[in-house]
Amino acid sequence: MILIHCPYCDEKRAELEFAYAGEAHIARPLDPSALSDEEWETYLFIRNNPRGRHHERWRHAHGCGRFFNAVRDTVTDKFETTYKAGEPRK
Amino acid sequence: MSELLARIEPTPAVPFAGNGVTVTSAPPMARFSLRARKATDLEKLLGVSVPQKIGTMQNGVMCLGPDEWLMLAPHGTKIADGSGLSLAVTEVSDRNVAILLEGPRAVAVLAAGCALDFDHFEVGRATRTIFETVEIIVVREAAERFHVEVWRSFAPWLWTAFVTVAAQ
Repeated sequence: MILIHCPYCDEKRAELEFAYAGEAHIARPLDPSALSDEEWETYLFIRNNPRGRHHERWRHAHGCGRFFNAVRDTVTDKFETTYKAGEPRK
Repeated sequence: MSELLARIEPTPAVPFAGNGVTVTSAPPMARFSLRARKATDLEKLLGVSVPQKIGTMQNGVMCLGPDEWLMLAPHGTKIADGSGLSLAVTEVSDRNVAILLEGPRAVAVLAAGCALDFDHFEVGRATRTIFETVEIIVVREAAERFHVEVWRSFAPWLWTAFVTVAAQ
């Protein structure tokens, strides 16, 4: 079982308590109506999908309930670090 | 009293004496979900200090998240609605029921479906976690006594799971 460090609870908890929530650091456009269809499509659907280091959002759904960001290696499934939502990209 | 008599509890009234552990339905109690950005607002409302570290409990109030607390109090307790303060008070007395585990094998019963490290789970800690697939809140009241909060509709399943392990 993978243990994930929750930056809010400040402890490692079982993966069962967490929910994956997609790629991190994707800011919603401030004025969606000004965007072309292609730009809107990019915002909605186009993701990096890297092999290796991946910044992603997780939620401690069955714990403190908070969203946070994590850096996980998509090859080894190892978590490099986790940090609170709103903090700069690591 | 009549209200208490009319209640239909989802778990049996008779405790189950298992192998080294007793499984008991806790009596009805008052529960309040408290949400606030600042703990000091809650302290103004309740008049007692509340814990600020997630997973700790103080004065019957447990800190579940950065802005979320759960308060347990004797049945019938009422608290102010907090108008004028930037917080939200919701009474959730009937949302949860509690099951008590007591005895030398209490840890074994919980560990059967819960991945927490109970060797390092101090007395007085309270945390939300998951038992198999059911969300629970575990409070360690003493070394061999646990208070487990669970949503009403999940309680019969959790009771059956606890009793099954306790009987082994």
